[in-house]
Amino acid sequence: MNDKKKNLDNREVFIKGLSDNIVKSAVDIVKIDPTKKQITEITDTVTERLQYESSSLLNEAVTKLHPDSLSEMLPEEKVERNFERFGKNFRYQHMLMFVSVIILIITGMPLKFPEFGLSKFIVIDLLGGLHNSTFIHRIGAVGLIIVGIWHVIYSLGSRVGRRDFFLMVPNLKDAADFMGTMRYYIGKSKSGPKFDRFSFIEKFDYWAVYWGMVIMIGSGAIMWYKELFPKYFYDIGREMHSDEGLLATLSIVIWHFYNVHFNPEVFPMSWTWWHGQLTESEMKHHHPLEYEAIIKKESQDIIDQSKSESKGNN
Amino acid sequence: MKQLSFLVIFLFLLCGSSADIQALEKCQICHSKKEIHRAEETGRKVPLYIDESIIARSVHNDKDCTDCHNDINEIPHKVVKKVNCRRCHYTGNPVGAPDGKMYDQYEHSVHGMAVLNGNEKAPVCQDCHGDHDVYSHKTIESKFYWQNIPKTCGTCHMDIYAVYKESTHGRAVADGIKDAPVCSDCHGEHNIKKHNSDESRVSDARISQTCTECHGTQGVVNKYNIKTDRAATFEHSFHGVGLQMGSKTVANCASCHDYHDIRGEDDPKSSVHPDNIPKTCGKEGCHPGASAEFSSGQQIHINPKSEESGIIYYISKAFLVLTVSVLLGLLAFIAMDLFRRAKNARAKR
Repeated sequence: MNDKKKNLDNREVFIKGLSDNIVKSAVDIVKIDPTKKQITEITDTVTERLQYESSSLLNEAVTKLHPDSLSEMLPEEKVERNFERFGKNFRYQHMLMFVSVIILIITGMPLKFPEFGLSKFIVIDLLGGLHNSTFIHRIGAVGLIIVGIWHVIYSLGSRVGRRDFFLMVPNLKDAADFMGTMRYYIGKSKSGPKFDRFSFIEKFDYWAVYWGMVIMIGSGAIMWYKELFPKYFYDIGREMHSDEGLLATLSIVIWHFYNVHFNPEVFPMSWTWWHGQLTESEMKHHHPLEYEAIIKKESQDIIDQSKSESKGNN
Repeated sequence: MKQLSFLVIFLFLLCGSSADIQALEKCQICHSKKEIHRAEETGRKVPLYIDESIIARSVHNDKDCTDCHNDINEIPHKVVKKVNCRRCHYTGNPVGAPDGKMYDQYEHSVHGMAVLNGNEKAPVCQDCHGDHDVYSHKTIESKFYWQNIPKTCGTCHMDIYAVYKESTHGRAVADGIKDAPVCSDCHGEHNIKKHNSDESRVSDARISQTCTECHGTQGVVNKYNIKTDRAATFEHSFHGVGLQMGSKTVANCASCHDYHDIRGEDDPKSSVHPDNIPKTCGKEGCHPGASAEFSSGQQIHINPKSEESGIIYYISKAFLVLTVSVLLGLLAFIAMDLFRRAKNARAKR
């Protein structure tokens, strides 16, 4: 135990020294006189990176020595860093959306299945009759419409929103990834495909919601203002609203709940919707391409920053 | 001793009945005269002639006058009281007069309650079943022979009878179509309740069930080329769902088809004739803002499972295919994911 601790301490001291050395060399190369703040910032980044690399090299070394007992023999030290997956704006969109959708499902499903006792209990006993339940359904509808408009503005107007929207567009890699996942599932390959910021599964989820929003809001609006249209508009709207409502509900309960609740990896719930964060290992596991890009960009930024600052100083 | 007492009672009954036959003859001394009448204070003449053949054809042909008019014990007698049928028609009566739930039902019905509350115009047994002319309901001259029921009810409910007579049901009954409903088929017989009471067969909550008793059965409706899915499509509609959820404001069958003035959609006077539908949908309290397009020339009873519904049928089918395939795909994906996870976990161990 003491030996382990000693080794860890030694390594930390060594890493500290190494990062100081690296920064000093960098300063020598660019031949400028950096501020103290700059030095600490850059040193911290380098230290963090070295700590991470040293621990992953340690893992590798352990695996090579003793392939079976990786998880047990790993030292407890872990330098985990969090990555922001969803910004505040996006998380608020999701919160308003799920509150609205829960309201809509609770007040909508009983009208699709009126013969069930539970439906009658919800509408008659819990909500006090059809008049109240349809009113509450409309409150949920307003919530969903606000989310829809908000998201379109976010996707067009904000930098992150625009970037994410374009990353959501399906491409050939998604088809390849799907095949790769299938091969992984049936055991033809040892590991699944490497995903970027949005995997084909997440793209499917996103566009499924997009389709659902268009159908539900469109048909719902026709039913809300039915008197303005010929009756067959209402009949078509009602049929679509009813069918798509069931499809959406089942998709959410089966597919979305599996991914974010019942999946053994996240059970009972992934908290990303609340804090927006993914841990480093989650990032490396689920979004390796995005992770690599982030790390690469960060290193590049450090170099660029010091370069531009040296220019400014000259 | 016991046997003796039975004998005495038997002899007493025997004498009693023979005495009553005489009494009937006695009654006929006066009541067989066609011109006999009683003058009321108002000057109105009340005929007192009684056609013996009517009683002979009635179900009470073995009864004597005083069996019912038991307040007569001298001749000439005073004005008789109204006969109380319950004198014989009670549970366990010894003369074998039919007795059933209908007496209790009547007491709790809208008519019985009105009588109890002192309404002298409210009907008692005799008003519907007849007094001397209580014929079997199978006899064509009976007041409650099926074809005569509307007229019998119409003696009091004249305005409704006038409307009903012209309706599709009324005309069918007049034409002798026995499947067509008379008043009692919808309103009930002895258990008629106030139409806005929840117990009533024609209340907002129950009327669609009452209509469905015929309009949901192939046997009755197919014969006359009426669509059988009217009840099922109503239940599926928002109006039908609302009704199941206890709403009192949603439309029921009668809201659109009317209560007594029910007519086929080809009849220009019908509330569901294409020309009249905008007015019917746009009723105060329903859809007063309905545009002409909203309500004219459209299918009202939509059955998404029938090809007749056109585009709705195809939308419904398309969504069924989409839903089933998407869910099967997702479930397969989840199953494979779990399977692979289990395999990985085993490999680690």
